[in-house]
Amino acid sequence: MRNYMKTHTGLTVIIAAAILLQGISAMQYYYTRSLLADELEKRAESELSVKAVIVKNSLNMSENSLIDHIWNLKRNIIHPDSSYQVMEWVLRSHPNLTGCWVAFVPDYFPERGRLFEPFAWWENGTIKKAEIAAEGRDYTQNRYYKTVYANDAPMWTEAYREVLTDMNLVTYIVPIHDSKDNIIAMFGLDMSVDQMGDTLNYRHIYPSSYNFLLTETGQLLAGPKHKSDKEKAKMEHVINMINDSTVEKSLSNSGRSSVFPMKDADGDEGMVFYADLKGEPKWKIAVVCYDKEVYAKLTKMRRTMGLMTLLALLVLGLIIARFAKNDRKLQKAKVEQERIGSELRIATNIQKEMLPKTFPPYPERNDIDIYGMLIPAREVGGDIYDFFLRDEKLFFCIGDVSGKGVPSAMVMAMIHSLFRMASAHESNPARIMQTINETSCEGNESNMFVTLFIGVLDLPTGHLRYCDAGHDAPFILSEKGKVNSEKYATAIDVQPNLPVGVFDDFTYSMQETQIAPESTIILYTDGLTEAKRAPKQMFGLQRTEEVLSKCALQHLMPRQVLEAISEEVRTFVGDAEQSDDLTMLAIRYTPQRFETTLAETLVLKNDVHEVTRFSNFMKSVTEKLGIEKSLAHQLRLAVEEAVVNVIDYAYPIGTEGDITVKMMSNSHTLRFQIIDSGVAFDPTMKEKADTTLSAEDRQIGGLGILLVRELMDSINYERMDGKNVLTLIKHIKQTGYEHNN
Amino acid sequence: MNTTIEEIDGKYYATLNGEMDTAAALEAEEVLKPLYQSNGKDVIIDCTDLEYIASSGLRILLSILKGAKASGSKVVMKGVNDDIKNVFKLTGFISIFEFE
Repeated sequence: MRNYMKTHTGLTVIIAAAILLQGISAMQYYYTRSLLADELEKRAESELSVKAVIVKNSLNMSENSLIDHIWNLKRNIIHPDSSYQVMEWVLRSHPNLTGCWVAFVPDYFPERGRLFEPFAWWENGTIKKAEIAAEGRDYTQNRYYKTVYANDAPMWTEAYREVLTDMNLVTYIVPIHDSKDNIIAMFGLDMSVDQMGDTLNYRHIYPSSYNFLLTETGQLLAGPKHKSDKEKAKMEHVINMINDSTVEKSLSNSGRSSVFPMKDADGDEGMVFYADLKGEPKWKIAVVCYDKEVYAKLTKMRRTMGLMTLLALLVLGLIIARFAKNDRKLQKAKVEQERIGSELRIATNIQKEMLPKTFPPYPERNDIDIYGMLIPAREVGGDIYDFFLRDEKLFFCIGDVSGKGVPSAMVMAMIHSLFRMASAHESNPARIMQTINETSCEGNESNMFVTLFIGVLDLPTGHLRYCDAGHDAPFILSEKGKVNSEKYATAIDVQPNLPVGVFDDFTYSMQETQIAPESTIILYTDGLTEAKRAPKQMFGLQRTEEVLSKCALQHLMPRQVLEAISEEVRTFVGDAEQSDDLTMLAIRYTPQRFETTLAETLVLKNDVHEVTRFSNFMKSVTEKLGIEKSLAHQLRLAVEEAVVNVIDYAYPIGTEGDITVKMMSNSHTLRFQIIDSGVAFDPTMKEKADTTLSAEDRQIGGLGILLVRELMDSINYERMDGKNVLTLIKHIKQTGYEHNN
Repeated sequence: MNTTIEEIDGKYYATLNGEMDTAAALEAEEVLKPLYQSNGKDVIIDCTDLEYIASSGLRILLSILKGAKASGSKVVMKGVNDDIKNVFKLTGFISIFEFE
């Protein structure tokens, strides 16, 4: 829909631009056309006047040829034939003249009859002479003769076609007077107007335009030499239109010229301009111009403009398309960004899910209280903390992956999995670290490393084993000041092992310490000590120690301690941007005293046959405690399996050793301890048998530890003072009998 | 602990009496060992009077079962009490043995 709208808008813009450009083009066209029309009128009018002058000059020259010879004629008039010589002179004075004559009034030369008309004319390059009245032509009846005679003034005749020579001729007639001013003859000359047509069309204002001359009555006098009848017909059509006075229209700038539009047989449009010649004869001169030539440049311009408009629209279209494409790209990038953003949010959640997030994590226990906090500097962080309980041991770690963002987060996730996997069957933090290091060094192309602290706190004893791989040493808070007589917060001693991920063959060393009751272990990443409010102004170790001491003195619980620290950091940093993940883990250890109500001890030799003694011991103990048969059965089985395990493995074959079984009970707990001084052996690291396999696949081993784990509530192994101590605990409901009484 | 085996009509019948703890299992194994190769004969193990069994006892039963399965015969447990059945459950043996 969005794209459709975009395309739609693009189309609208193109259409609008097309209309605008067309409008501009049309305006320009009509403006230019009217300019060209004005120009045409001016040119046509000037053409008409120039050509009129040419015609007039030609006529005047002919008139003057005749007038110039009037005195010669009069001087020689005494002899009838003397006029031939004058006529010859006249004919030779101008090339347009075809003939010359004198028509004497009747009976002027009686000896030559009533009428006498000598005539000289050009024929095949020579001048011929003859008296033509003798042929019976009565020139006195000619209307021109009569007119000139009556008006006693020279005149031009209308054009006529001379059949003999096939020429269009006009004749100029001048009356000749004697000394008494009586008319004695008419002196006339014939002029060809055919040449005049050539003269008029010698040059045109436009190549295909043409000029022509019309007589008073609208007869064609002289025009272009048309090659075809069709062209002649076209001209005839124009002449008819001129003669039809209704079409004419006067030109504005002069009263003499007229103009009208025309369309010829071929459909070619044009304009006809015509004007009257000044004075006599009353001829009309016309010029015809064709639009296609007048507006040829305009048409060309219009075509060019059209092409340019198309080109402009095309370019505009391309620009719009490009914009739309860019817009789509932008839209796509935005979607992509949103996708990455949402994936990052999911990654943040996954990372959060990975870490323990329920606090307090073990509400049923009163010996530990834990609180953890991870404030990432970005959506995903490279810090990690984790903890879990296994066999009455608290496994915990804190780490800081080099770098920040997604790559660090991925390494962090890997370290998290490795920590869980490596510590599933291993309670030695150095060996757990070793496993994590070896695995994470494999294919560590990006050379990322992790500072990591792993601790294993034995909850029954408070014995802490730990391994530090280049991480900041945790603090121990002791409100009683027992850790150090002067300090309430002390960093524990750590050996500088290499961070994880550097060398796969590095050997990590384990350290041990005893955690006093009511102490709190504080683990943190350098996001705490290196929290900056300005470059080189860091929260620092000293400030950390001070804050922690204060917390210890105030008997703060883990959650309160971490909130107090983060508040201090927030105050210290102020508005500065958080530069690194801030991660902290606080573990408070509060072991409970075991109020024993019954304690029994049995010492066995490492011999399977001793099991019979053990069986009797168990029967006696459960009987004393009033434990019902099924539970007694379960307790006996679990403890027997543990004891047999020790008998089988604690001492080398052939050597004798003691195995002590201690039973302690209070109102709700049964605690069995199996103690031997044999080789260090942790049965909790033994894998349980897989109970889902078929008979063929089932292995003989692993059943003992499986039964111990299934039947008891907890199992704990500790090597103490050169002895293996295995503690099994079963929580019992107070029996109905005891409870009710 | 008293353990007996006998063969009737091409079937082995074993009877387990008393408490089979790890020490007792050592002796019981001596008696039950022939059943590790049952040679296609079904094995019926009567547990009616069995009061206790440890994992060493279970291992003997598993060895008998493996031998029987290999020769195409079956092992049937009879009269197993609830406490012992619970042990079978915890170890997953409940799904590989037949009970009657």
